Amino acid sequence: MTDYSPSLLNVSNEHRQSAIEIARGRLIFAVLLFCAAFLIMVARTMELGLSAPAPRMIARKQVVVPAIEMSRADILDRNGEILATNLETSSLYVDASAIKDPAEAARRLVTVLPTLSQADVEEKLASNRKFIWLKRKLTPRQKWAVNALGEPAFHFQREEERIYPQGRLAAHAIGYVDVDGKGLGGVEHFFNARLNDDDLKTSALKLSLDIRVQYALADELEAAMRAYKALGAAGLVMDVNSGEVLGLVSLPDYDPNNVRGIGDTEKFNRVTQGVYELGSTFKTFTFAAALDDGLVSLEDGYDASKPLRVARFTIRDDHPKNRFLTLPEIFTYSSNIGTAQMALDLGADRQQEFLSELGLLQASNIELTEVGAPLYPSTWRKSSIMTISYGHGIAVSPLQLATGISAMVNGGRLLPATLAADAGGRHDGKQVISSATSRKIRQLLRLAVSKGTGGRANAIGYRVGGKTGTAEKPIAGGYDRKALISSFVGVYPMDDPKYVVFALLDEPKGTKETHGFAAGGWVAAPVVRNVILRTAPLLGVSPKEENKELYQRVSLMIEK
Amino acid sequence: MRKYVTALAAITAVASGVAVLQLKAAVQSELDDVKALAQQIHEDQEAIRVIEAEWAYLTTPRILQERSIQFLALMPPRAKQIVSDPSLVPFRPKGLEVEPDPGVLLPVSHEKKENLKVKKDKDTKKKGHNL
Repeated sequence: MTDYSPSLLNVSNEHRQSAIEIARGRLIFAVLLFCAAFLIMVARTMELGLSAPAPRMIARKQVVVPAIEMSRADILDRNGEILATNLETSSLYVDASAIKDPAEAARRLVTVLPTLSQADVEEKLASNRKFIWLKRKLTPRQKWAVNALGEPAFHFQREEERIYPQGRLAAHAIGYVDVDGKGLGGVEHFFNARLNDDDLKTSALKLSLDIRVQYALADELEAAMRAYKALGAAGLVMDVNSGEVLGLVSLPDYDPNNVRGIGDTEKFNRVTQGVYELGSTFKTFTFAAALDDGLVSLEDGYDASKPLRVARFTIRDDHPKNRFLTLPEIFTYSSNIGTAQMALDLGADRQQEFLSELGLLQASNIELTEVGAPLYPSTWRKSSIMTISYGHGIAVSPLQLATGISAMVNGGRLLPATLAADAGGRHDGKQVISSATSRKIRQLLRLAVSKGTGGRANAIGYRVGGKTGTAEKPIAGGYDRKALISSFVGVYPMDDPKYVVFALLDEPKGTKETHGFAAGGWVAAPVVRNVILRTAPLLGVSPKEENKELYQRVSLMIEK
Repeated sequence: MRKYVTALAAITAVASGVAVLQLKAAVQSELDDVKALAQQIHEDQEAIRVIEAEWAYLTTPRILQERSIQFLALMPPRAKQIVSDPSLVPFRPKGLEVEPDPGVLLPVSHEKKENLKVKKDKDTKKKGHNL
């Protein structure tokens, strides 16, 4: 046994050694494998660290800038000027339970927010409640000042505020919102759903208004209103070839940034909501209807030698000539007698149909909810025919009138008035009169300014045409001879009409400069002239020498 | 030998671990920078909104008119002062005459200098040839 044992030991030793060798070999193999794997990883790490990152990988991992989220879309004018925008503000509230010394904290807070009452704030701070509003909508500077107090119990809540940087300018067109940002007036109300639409919040609403034109109009109307002590004023500038409203002014106005305590008089939109008997400006429509039907030609005339009697009315002329007048004379001297006779020839049905075609018997469908419906007699009697022919007995809004006048001068296409900016291009409205009649109306309007009652609207170089309108205000049982609605509707340049400018003054009083007159030709026409002089260069209408031949033949028919 | 291999493996493992950690930290800090930048851009955009509103307020036509009356002696232009054809303006400098050359769109002064350079180049080339 002992003989074998060493050999056995040997064998087992040898066997064990070879087994260990094998194990070691395997271990080394594993270690090498690991080493190789690590080396690969090291190489890859270094490659990643040293090489420039592949451009497509950057593209895949886009940097996300959090978008500005406002709860209401902006409103811009046609040139991109901001009319209404939402800004972030902070409202201050307090966790009163965390206040140690209410009296001291209140004293320090009032030093930075002087509009707060110290006693009131102290009471709130001492109330021990977890959440009390102290002041809503702080300016960034006030917020900074409150933060600088270092009082940990004061907190801010993010809120939004609707800002109208242009103030009272264009207030009636833009409108206003309530505290919760809900539109209550103007386009803010009309487009409320669109402005609050989640998908359209980032794209601003563009209006047709031009803030520069708007200001020129507002400034001139304000000056006239002050000079003639008028109760109110209305004005409108409109593109005759697209129906876009560039300026819309109603006075007195209000500041949409602060509508608290504003009365209905200020909120009333005289351009779209107010309906007025606009007087002689309506003669344009009577003339257009008669000329378009071929009922009369410019060479015809009517006898205006004595006042007309119909029912209980007597129709007189404001500028009586007491003779037979040609058509151009009736228009330029604004003869009621001549126009009334022409309307009688036209007939009730045709007159009504024509006015309806021009949209003067239906409320305008501009993008505002403050739209007034026109007033006119339900039964169209003979007296109605005659008075309506020169703008009495029918009340329409200035916007409707301007829309109608645009159709008269732009070649006869009726384009509905709009406050939304459009992309441009040709507008094909409904043809209401022939382009030949439109040309005649242009001649008549130009002569009414160069020779007739609208002389004070003649902005030299801009070939203004237009018609005055003076109407007495209706009172119970008749008309108030002293209270006038004086207006003027002007169009320029008359050889290729581009813009219609309308101005209206409510109960103007004559002054020394107007020799006591308060008629449209005296008080409203200069407003239109000044607006044209101020805005024509902005709107790209260049002044030039007038082509006198355009009006030569018609003007020969006018005797002094 | 085996000891060395083991030590080498250990060192390599530790070194590569450290390298990976460092890389991760670097990426993390870059990412933080990007986020901070995005936030900064967002805040700037909000500030721009405020500034735009303020600009609109400060340049509203009413204020511009007040400032103009206060500081400038400007009047609204009269029809006579507006000229549609600029050639009617008297004593208007005509600018330098340039020979019509559709290929060259540079002002006259530039053109002359370039011509000079080309001449010099030609001179040096000629000299080179002579040498």
